[in-house]
Parts: sequence; structure tokens; C-alpha cells
Amino acid sequence: MARDARKALPPILLLLAWEVVGRLDLVASGALPAPSEILLRLWVDRADYPAHVAATLTASGAGFVIGNLVAVLAGLLFVLSPVAERMARGVNIAIFTLPPIAIAPILTLTLEGMTPRIVLAALGVYFVTMQATVTGLRHFDSRAADVVRAYGGGPGAVLWRVQARGAVPALLSGFRVAAPNAVLGAILAEFGGGGRFGLGSYLLGSLGRAEPDRLWSIGLVATAIAGLSYAVFALISARMLGASRALSLNPAAPPQMVGGRDPLWLSLAALVLPFALWWAFLWALSVPEMLGKTPFGVVDYLFLSDSAPKAQERLLAALAETLPITLAGMAAGMAFAFALAVAGRLTPAFARAFLPVALVSQTMPLVALTPLLVLILGRGTAVTLWITISVTFFPAYVMIAQGIAQVPRAALELPRAYGASAWRELRLVTLTAAMPWLFAAIRLTAPRALLGVMIAEWLATGRGLGNLLNQSRGYLDFGMIWTVAVVSVLLSVGFYLLAGAVEKRVLRRMGMTGGG
Amino acid sequence: MTAPAGITLSGLSKTFHGRGQVVQALRDVTLSCPPGSFTALIGPSGCGKSTVLRAALGLEPLDAGTVEIGGQTPAQATKAGVTGVAFQDAGLLPWRSVARNIALPLEVLGRDLAPASGRIRDLIALVGLSGYENALPGELSGGMRQRVAIARALVSEPQVLFLDEPFGALDQILRRQMNIELQRIWAETGVTTLLVTHGIDEAVFLADRVAVMQAAPGRIVDILSIDLPRPRDAALFAAPHFHDLCDRIAKVLHGA
Ligand SMILES: Nc1ncnc2c1ncn2[C@@H]1O[C@H](COP(=O)(O)OP(=O)(O)OP(=O)(O)O)[C@@H](O)[C@H]1O
Ligand SMILES: [Mg+2]
Repeated sequence: MARDARKALPPILLLLAWEVVGRLDLVASGALPAPSEILLRLWVDRADYPAHVAATLTASGAGFVIGNLVAVLAGLLFVLSPVAERMARGVNIAIFTLPPIAIAPILTLTLEGMTPRIVLAALGVYFVTMQATVTGLRHFDSRAADVVRAYGGGPGAVLWRVQARGAVPALLSGFRVAAPNAVLGAILAEFGGGGRFGLGSYLLGSLGRAEPDRLWSIGLVATAIAGLSYAVFALISARMLGASRALSLNPAAPPQMVGGRDPLWLSLAALVLPFALWWAFLWALSVPEMLGKTPFGVVDYLFLSDSAPKAQERLLAALAETLPITLAGMAAGMAFAFALAVAGRLTPAFARAFLPVALVSQTMPLVALTPLLVLILGRGTAVTLWITISVTFFPAYVMIAQGIAQVPRAALELPRAYGASAWRELRLVTLTAAMPWLFAAIRLTAPRALLGVMIAEWLATGRGLGNLLNQSRGYLDFGMIWTVAVVSVLLSVGFYLLAGAVEKRVLRRMGMTGGG
Repeated sequence: MTAPAGITLSGLSKTFHGRGQVVQALRDVTLSCPPGSFTALIGPSGCGKSTVLRAALGLEPLDAGTVEIGGQTPAQATKAGVTGVAFQDAGLLPWRSVARNIALPLEVLGRDLAPASGRIRDLIALVGLSGYENALPGELSGGMRQRVAIARALVSEPQVLFLDEPFGALDQILRRQMNIELQRIWAETGVTTLLVTHGIDEAVFLADRVAVMQAAPGRIVDILSIDLPRPRDAALFAAPHFHDLCDRIAKVLHGA
């Protein structure tokens, strides 16, 4: 009882402080309303919500189901055929890294009605669930599989009786992470696509007015939906796992880059497949040439056509804005996360109080967060920087802190037993243990950093790649819309691969991988 | 030469290529267990006993050698439900209850479950787990899990039984009890049994013949027959000629 009370104390204190600050209009002359004011506004606007919430829920729900279905089937295929997995590597990385906001306009151009929202929600779900399926199916108890095989069971019997059921926990935790992604995807598509209903549309419509409390209440509702979707699956897995958890596997290593020494044809296939799918997409929907650019169309627009020099100039100018700030924001976010996680090792009480806050904040959809930060920070570069920091900081903090938490007590205490100082112990054990997690965090958050910057540019600052995308939408400059989408996906993939390469090299030098 | 349900292992060789090291787990292992016989396989840790057993079941691809079970290949024999097995690690499915874990071989073999429910209940009683039918493996001790695995090995009414240290996690008293039970089951059913064990006394008590292995490379160095009269009872553990046999095996084990 006393422990529960102590756990609940920090959030309550936080809420109280917020109430006081809000009531006194201390932040940016009222940009941060008190919780009570936000709830009041929610009550006043209550008639508006059902239609918007229903639209967002429909799109994200449909996207969630479809995306998961595809993801589970793909994961199954990859487990059965490693060649297929390697072939699809390019597509998988592209889907994982692509900033949804960059392709939202394209989807709205080429698809109709609710479809763009559903597709974007499904794309947000795919990678997480696919990965969870693959991990779940691969990490099985080989002794149990031996029993099935010892009675003449083939690969199918092992898959069905041992692997499939064993993958359920991984799958459920995949769903848990994927659900808020679906909500974010749907809202982003509402942003980019117009349409009357949906929380994204509502937010966009309220952006121009000086009503912080309404923006906050929309943000609150969006967060609640994302958080609830997470909680539903957290609850299901807690109920299902019960006693069987004691024997289930707990993969403790940070997710690492798959070390691929593929034959050339396979690497080429992996590279070509995303472009082939792009083509197939346009062809299958028979999109008019003017609207839907093929890979050649983009090359033509950017390098060959009459307007190419001008397009290049605009693109480079936008990149010169976007790139430095993405990198700076990421570096700051990482440094902050690393420092705090290590500090948390020294003062566990602080970490215990902070981790839940960090977890909750992660479920807040980015699009809902941005306008709120704009209210507080204005429309300058600061807001972009802060969004990038917050986007990278929380996931990185959670990952690094969990990584450090997995270091066995004995390993932590050993240097102390030999009289090492706290600082030396930190250097010898904790920092080394945190390293792989830091790198994994950089690799995994890089795409989100770019997404954060682009959302901020689109909604707030009116500069850089995000703004170029928004403007091109207004000018119906289809070539530029496709170009920005392609460039931002390539950038994102580039970040990911670069971070992965550095990670591999450093870890190998530190002797922390099994070598290839 | 190949009787209905004997085991014939001829010239088994197997080399593992692990991380940077090469282990010759089996070299030219030849062993033939006539139908209805009880053979114990004993040897130091890591000498390749489990590998022999896995190879006999067709789970381990071999570099050389052949396995016949009742004149069939391991793949045919396992599929036909001729064999039963309990591995060194219980290998239970953590989400299945004790009863459903025991039923697993029947499901894999595609047999009807309904008529087997009484048999499963009897087996649970036999291994002393009555009352735990619906418990999950995570709620059992290591020795209890091992007993579930033994029950599971018997559920398909096999003609050939492979047991890999089935009593390793049991206390001495329970172990003796289970030895006597196993002897009774073997006598009643006539099941050809190959038992891997670390216990010399267990091997002598149960087996017709004891095959002794040595490590690096894994090979059979001697096969001793145990011609003690049956049925053997607990008093045998105290008999002098029983200890003479044990000493002889210990000598072979220590390479004397
Ligand atoms: N999958 C594998 N990969 C590499 N080496 C293996 C593998 N399985 C077994 N070995 C090696 O083969 C040798 C024999 O192993 P095996 O499990 O058959 O020993 P054992 O006699 O059953 O030992 P124990 O009594 O400890 O169970 C060991 O040296 C082991 O390291
Ligand atoms: Mg063994």
C-alpha cells in the first residue's frame, strides 16, 4: 500500500504543479492551460467529438487490422524462407523509416476517400508486427520442437504446435506498440488529405484560432485513444501470459543489425524491389502520368526537364534547412537521454518515477504535440529543435534505461567489491553496458527525428523539407511532391544504414558482437 | 537379422563444427538392441550419449552410419508411432497443462485423443502427479517436469523407448521408486528400451546390457551383460554381487 502511494505521488505532484502554472498563465501568456481548463473545454466542445473520433477510429482500426494481417503473413513467409526475407529487406527498411507525412500527400493524390488514412495507418503498423512475428516464431524452445519431431512431426507440425503459440507473447507486444502507430498514421493522413471529419482535420481547423485549451483538449483525446489502444493489448497480454511466462523466453540483447553478406543478386533484388513495388502501385491503380510519377518521372523532374535547375535549387535550400536541425536535435536528444539514463542508474528512485512519465509521453501522437509546442515556443527554429529532441529523447531514454537495468546486480557490484569508486564502476560496467543500447536507439529513432522535423516545418515554421512538401501541395506541383517524398525516404534510409554501420563497427571494436 | 522392433545402430559417425572448434561427437558407434531388450548407455558428461539417442531418432544428421528401428528408417518408425522418447530436458510446452503436454505425441501422430484420456490419467498417477493434471509446467519443480516427460514418453504405447537421463532431477528415493516402476512397465509391455544414464547402479539394476562410452571421440569402449535374475527388487541394491558388477563398470568408465 505504502509503495503504491509512493508510486502515485510524482504524477500527482506534476498535475498539481501544472494546474497552478496553468491557472496563473505563467507559460507564454496562457499557452499552457490548466488541466481543469482543458477538461472544461472538452465538456463545452463535447458535441464536436463523436464524429471526429469515429472517423479517426474507423481509419486507424481498419489500418490496424489490414496492416497486421499483412505483417503476420509476411513474417510467416520470412521465417519459412530466409531468401524471401533478404529479398524484402529493402522494402522493410523503407517502410520502417519512411516519414508518413512525406507520403501522405501522395496517397491523397492517388487514392480516394478513407483509403489514404487506412493505408498510412497500416504502414505504421506493418513493420512492428512483422518484426514481432519473425522474432516470436524464431525464438522457440528447440527441445520442445525435438519432441514434436521425435514423433514424426514435420516443419509444419513444429510451426503449428510449438512456434505459433510461442509467438503469441511477442505478437501481443507487437500489437501493443503498433496500435498507437496506427492512430498516428490515420491522424497524419487526415492532416495531409483534408476531409471533414477526423481528429487531424479537427486539429487543423482549430490551428488558426487562438484557443490553446481546445488544441490541448484535442491533443488529450488523441493521446487517450493512442494510450487506450496500447493499454488494451497490455492488458490482454498480462492476462494471457500468467503462469506460462515463467518458462517463456526473454531475449535480452538489444535488437542488432542483421549482418548480411548476401550474394550480389540478392542484394540487387532487395534494392530493386521497393522501386518495382512503387511502379506496380502506380500501374495497378492506373494513376495518370501527370499525378503519379514513376522513378523515371522523378529523375526526369529533378535532372532532365527544363525546370530541373529550379527544382534542384529549391530542394537543396530545403535540405540545408532540414538536415542540420535534424542532426542537432538528435544529438541533443541522445546526449540528454544517455546522461539521464546513466544518472538514473546512480539514483534509482528518480528513474522509477521518470520512466512511466516517459512511457506515457511516447504514446502522445506527434501531430497533437506539435501545435502545443508551437503555442508555447512560437514558430521559430526552437520549436523544431524541441520537437526533434522530444521525439528522440523519450524512446532513447526508455531503451538505454532498460538496457542498463538488464545488467545483472553481480556485475554491477563486482568492481565495488574490489574497492572501485562509484565513478569507476560506472565507467567499467554501466557505460559499457549502455553502449549497444545507445547505438540501437540512434538507429531506431533517426527516422522519427526526420519525421518530427518535417511535421514541425509543415505546421509551424514554414521552412525546410516539410514546408516544401506543404507548398507543393498547394501549387499542385506533383513532381516536387514525389521528389520530396522520395528524398525524405532515401534520407531516412540513409540515416538508418549509416547509424547501423557505425554501430556495427564500434561494437565490433569493443568486442560486443559475436562477429558477423 | 532385423527383428520387428529392435534397434540397430551401425557405424554412426558425427562431427560438430562449432564456433571455431571441431568436436567429434561420435566415431563408429555400433550397437544392436534385440527386441524386448533393455540396454543402458553410460559414459562421462559430453561423451555423446544424447547424440546417439538423437541420431537414433533421426533428429541429428549423420556423417556416416545407418539406423534401423524394427527394420524401418527412423523417419518411418517415428511417424508410425513405434517410438517413445523422453529427452534430457523435459522440453514441455509452457502454455499446455500437464495432461495436454502428455497428450502431445498423440496429437502429432494424429491419433484420437478421446479414448486416451483414461490412459493419460493412469500415467499421471504412475509418475505421482495426481492432482496436477491442469497445472502448467511453470508451476512445477524440475523433477516434476521430468516426470511429466516420462509419462509423455509412454503415452503412445511405443514398441521402442528412448530415455535420456529421465531420472536426473529426482531425489534418490524417488529415483529408486521410478526405477522399479520402469522395470515393471518394461516387463509388462516388452518395450525395447535404450536408457542413457549417469548412475552406474541404475544401469546395473535395470539393464540386460550396459554399453560404456568414452569421450573425444565419442565411442563405445565396452558392452557388459548383466545376467542378474528378474524381477529385480530394491534389496538388490544392497547385494554384494550387484556391487561387483558396479565396480567392473566403474573400472571401464575410468579407463582402467
Ligand atoms: N548442436 C551441437 N553443436 C555443437 N556441438 C554439439 C552439439 N550437440 C552436442 N555437441 C557436442 O557434442 C558432444 C557430445 O554431446 P552430447 O550432448 O551427446 O553429450 P552427453 O554424453 O549427452 O553429455 P551429458 O551426459 O552431459 O548429457 C559434446 O562435446 C557437445 O559439446
Ligand atoms: Mg546428454
